[in-house]
Amino acid sequence: MLQLKHLVIILLLLSPGLVLAQSKKTFTISGTIKDKASGETLPAATVSFVELPGKGVTSNSYGFYAISIPEGSYTMLTTYTGYTTDTLKILLTKNMLINKSLASASGQLQEVKIKSSTARSNNILTTPAGVQRLNIKDINNVPVLLGEKDVLKTIQLLPGIVSAGDGNAGFFVRGGAADQNLILLDEATVYNPSHFLGFFSVFNSDAIKDISIYKGGMPANYGGRLSSVEDIQMNDGNNQKFGASGGIGLIASRLTVDGPLFDNKGSFIISARRSYVDLFTGFASDTTTKHSKIYFYDVNLKGNYQLDSINRIFLSGYFGKDVMSFRNSYGLDYGNSTGTLRWNHIFSSKLFSNTSLIYSNYTYDVNIDDNTDNIKVSSAITDYHFKQDFTYYLNASNKLGFGLESTYHITQPGTAVATASSSYNDVFLEKKYALESALYLSDEWNASDKLKITYGVRLSDLSVLGPGNFYTYDKDGNKTDSTYYKSGKIVKSYITPEPRFAASYQLNPNSSVKLSYDRNVQNIHLLNNSAYLSTTNVYLPSSNNIKPEIADQAALGYYHTFHNNGFEFSSEIYYKNLQNQIDYKNGADLVGNPNIEADLLYGSGRAYGWETYIKKKSGKFTGWISYTLSKTELKIPGINNGDYYPATQDQTNHISLVGMYQATKKWTFSADFVYNTGDAVTWPSGKFSVDGAPVYYYGARNSNRLPAYNRLDIGATLLAKKTAKYESSWTFSIYNLYGQSNPYDIIFQADPNNANKTQVQQTTLFKMVPSVTYNFKF
Amino acid sequence: MRIQTPIIILVLLILFSSSCQKVITPQLSNGAPQLVIEGAVSDTTGPYHINISKTVSFYADNTYPNVSGASVTITDQTAGVNDLLTETSTGVYTTHIIVGTPGHTYQLQVVLNGKNYTAVSTMPLPVALDSITFDYTSVKNMIQPVVHYQDPAAFVNYYKYNITVNGVKLNRFQTDEDRLMNGKYINEDLVTDTGAIKKNNLVLVNLDGIDKGAYNFLQEAENIAFYNDQLATPATPTSNISGGCLGYFSAQTVSSKSAVVK
Repeated sequence: MLQLKHLVIILLLLSPGLVLAQSKKTFTISGTIKDKASGETLPAATVSFVELPGKGVTSNSYGFYAISIPEGSYTMLTTYTGYTTDTLKILLTKNMLINKSLASASGQLQEVKIKSSTARSNNILTTPAGVQRLNIKDINNVPVLLGEKDVLKTIQLLPGIVSAGDGNAGFFVRGGAADQNLILLDEATVYNPSHFLGFFSVFNSDAIKDISIYKGGMPANYGGRLSSVEDIQMNDGNNQKFGASGGIGLIASRLTVDGPLFDNKGSFIISARRSYVDLFTGFASDTTTKHSKIYFYDVNLKGNYQLDSINRIFLSGYFGKDVMSFRNSYGLDYGNSTGTLRWNHIFSSKLFSNTSLIYSNYTYDVNIDDNTDNIKVSSAITDYHFKQDFTYYLNASNKLGFGLESTYHITQPGTAVATASSSYNDVFLEKKYALESALYLSDEWNASDKLKITYGVRLSDLSVLGPGNFYTYDKDGNKTDSTYYKSGKIVKSYITPEPRFAASYQLNPNSSVKLSYDRNVQNIHLLNNSAYLSTTNVYLPSSNNIKPEIADQAALGYYHTFHNNGFEFSSEIYYKNLQNQIDYKNGADLVGNPNIEADLLYGSGRAYGWETYIKKKSGKFTGWISYTLSKTELKIPGINNGDYYPATQDQTNHISLVGMYQATKKWTFSADFVYNTGDAVTWPSGKFSVDGAPVYYYGARNSNRLPAYNRLDIGATLLAKKTAKYESSWTFSIYNLYGQSNPYDIIFQADPNNANKTQVQQTTLFKMVPSVTYNFKF
Repeated sequence: MRIQTPIIILVLLILFSSSCQKVITPQLSNGAPQLVIEGAVSDTTGPYHINISKTVSFYADNTYPNVSGASVTITDQTAGVNDLLTETSTGVYTTHIIVGTPGHTYQLQVVLNGKNYTAVSTMPLPVALDSITFDYTSVKNMIQPVVHYQDPAAFVNYYKYNITVNGVKLNRFQTDEDRLMNGKYINEDLVTDTGAIKKNNLVLVNLDGIDKGAYNFLQEAENIAFYNDQLATPATPTSNISGGCLGYFSAQTVSSKSAVVK
């Protein structure tokens, strides 16, 4: 503890926000905020006081809050979206522990009334620019493909976040690439968030409590990816009573069981899901289908135990897998597994600590077993991660966050094991080792009742470690030097300071302006030159050749709530500068290639845009409209004569509309519409013949556009039965209602019907997909 | 190793019967016609030909205007033999004295409108095709030839395959390298279009041994010709001829086998 005190003193000396002298005697109120019915902790709930306008605190991701205010009598308000606000009169003469349990507002879409002069939307001051938080309730009514509720698909309806297309789990945030999103499930990195090669995400919404999306103004405790953080928290499980819920859909079925453990001191949740299309393929008449299989499953597990009033432990895990095989001769299976062990400890009413040990793994295997070859190709990335976070509630105006983390990455870029009779040799690419560490410190400073500033710095280090051979290459990709490093030897270290700054200023009770600047560094790079977000991904850490990718982003936003907080409006502009972006030489082969780094090109980029969002939050009809105007360009020596060119994900216009209407107690209707400019693509400018086959030649990179994407989905939910003990509902949806032919694949090819012609063929995946899902809960 | 393709087809097939294909005609930019030089010297009996033509726009017929009036020379740099080719028909230039010999290095020189185009290619040592068989796949009407041959362990080898059915050459080619299969006995299914090979057809397969420069071009050309939808950023194949043209020049060995589909 002594060291901690020293650290706090140093922080005090360093931070300009902390030198406000405290004249009156102050006391600390702290506690945990929970859901009354389930005992689930509520992150980002707000605690404020009628008598102290402008002061307030939000609970952390474990529901813990603390605030120090002068002695006196107060009316304490505890608010959380979708829950009834709790009001409590207190007389503060000593430090107090106040745990709050909030009741869910009855009727899921009912208006939440927030009283008195402190009434303010979450967005007005408490949320930094670029942050969006979705409660799982928010997504339940949005219609989705085949009725599989999907957090990652739903966030693509928010401003600044765009889809990589139908059948692709990838998404682009403010012009960033798909691998520049840090997707966390209970703090563990999920490397490949896709099932069925991207048609669905790996997150079973029954097991998820909350998702926070950071597009900018990243808090200093997050790092490692350039574009965004999707911080997904699993449910803790009901510690009041046992329950089960589930659903039967067209693609998959789900079952979740949760309940209390150890006399309600703990709880658990188990949630599992499996697809079952494969059960029907065996009956198919087509032999290809008959001899093929395809399924996925995933399991979420979590348990927690409150040891005493100051110690709580959590153990959570995810395990999922996709298995596919084609004509019994090609097989592909891949999956993520994660595990997190956490210990929450309250050192004092002001100091909260969380310690985490995290494991994360992504593996894929390809099996080829036809009459000529038998070979198995595998690749994997494994992380062992330690993380220590502290929250120090210094006084009513300052909340400090500091901590450190360290991740040991082991990547296996590829092995191939073949039988003796196979045409292939065994290939073992060297494993790559890296240690990624960071120290961070930040202060949330309520400088005045109108101005809130969060500032901090993250110091990150990536150390490339042996054992292994490290090469240098000349411009043409020929090896010029090779050095062997022993196990544990540091080959190269990259230390990068990452400043983070976010400020909000309240103009009046209903509006505020926000400003942010942040730098992010990325040291794990996904290599993929296929048009699809493929599962056969190669992950490489930074090395002597690959430098850390760096992004600097500045954003400015305006927020406004009106109609008694029933509407929320926001508008933001951002500018992002990117360094050390990776591209590939023509014909680069990323599979089983020991000199993969010789095939890479490096350059810079810039992205800027304007996002507007208006949301109706209360009443029978709720929903939002989001519009983004943006540009993303890359500049890479060796491509396009070294001039700026549009990145693939440069979608100029992006519009989404989401509406939900609670018509009666039984029926809820919903619809969403999406429109965006097509991706930038490279199409032929002519053709010539090679060995009789037409081959195409190309002009400037990404100078063509896919047709604009648009789609309307509709859904309806029928609450079939609702009693105190049992609840069941039907969800009907139609994806792509008007059957728009959005391209999934476009190929330029010889015309199969006319040997003297070439043609362009487009494949569309989803033209009007209806679905029905039955959900139950008891 | 093209692993992803069948899996994607499979997903489409099984999961999404609502998927559909259609021919579209998006507007494409028409680049200025480019010069294309294509030709080879092989270890089979000459004469050998160099073909010079121009590109056409994507929606035009596959008829490429030939270019005449070029001065074309092939030099056997190993033997020190120089051969000035004669334009035997429009855009087709034919050798007189050059004899293709494994291990020899050949230089192609084309002078056209005052511009110089040159390429160098070394003929590898021959690799013999042992036999071909057929893979009667479970996909309806799809019969694939399977090649069988020994890859020499002592060398880095690059290959190209062509298929001829009943005397008609298919407008398709396929490349291979021994990076992942050096020294192995190779059994490989060749890609064909559905229905291209039928029962009782006489199928001839050519195995060409090519050098790295020609392979790099052909491998990129193969991806562009047949798999351009799978490339995140398709680009013009890099020619092994310098001077600013498309196409390739290859000194290659040829081994062929034929069989009747049963």
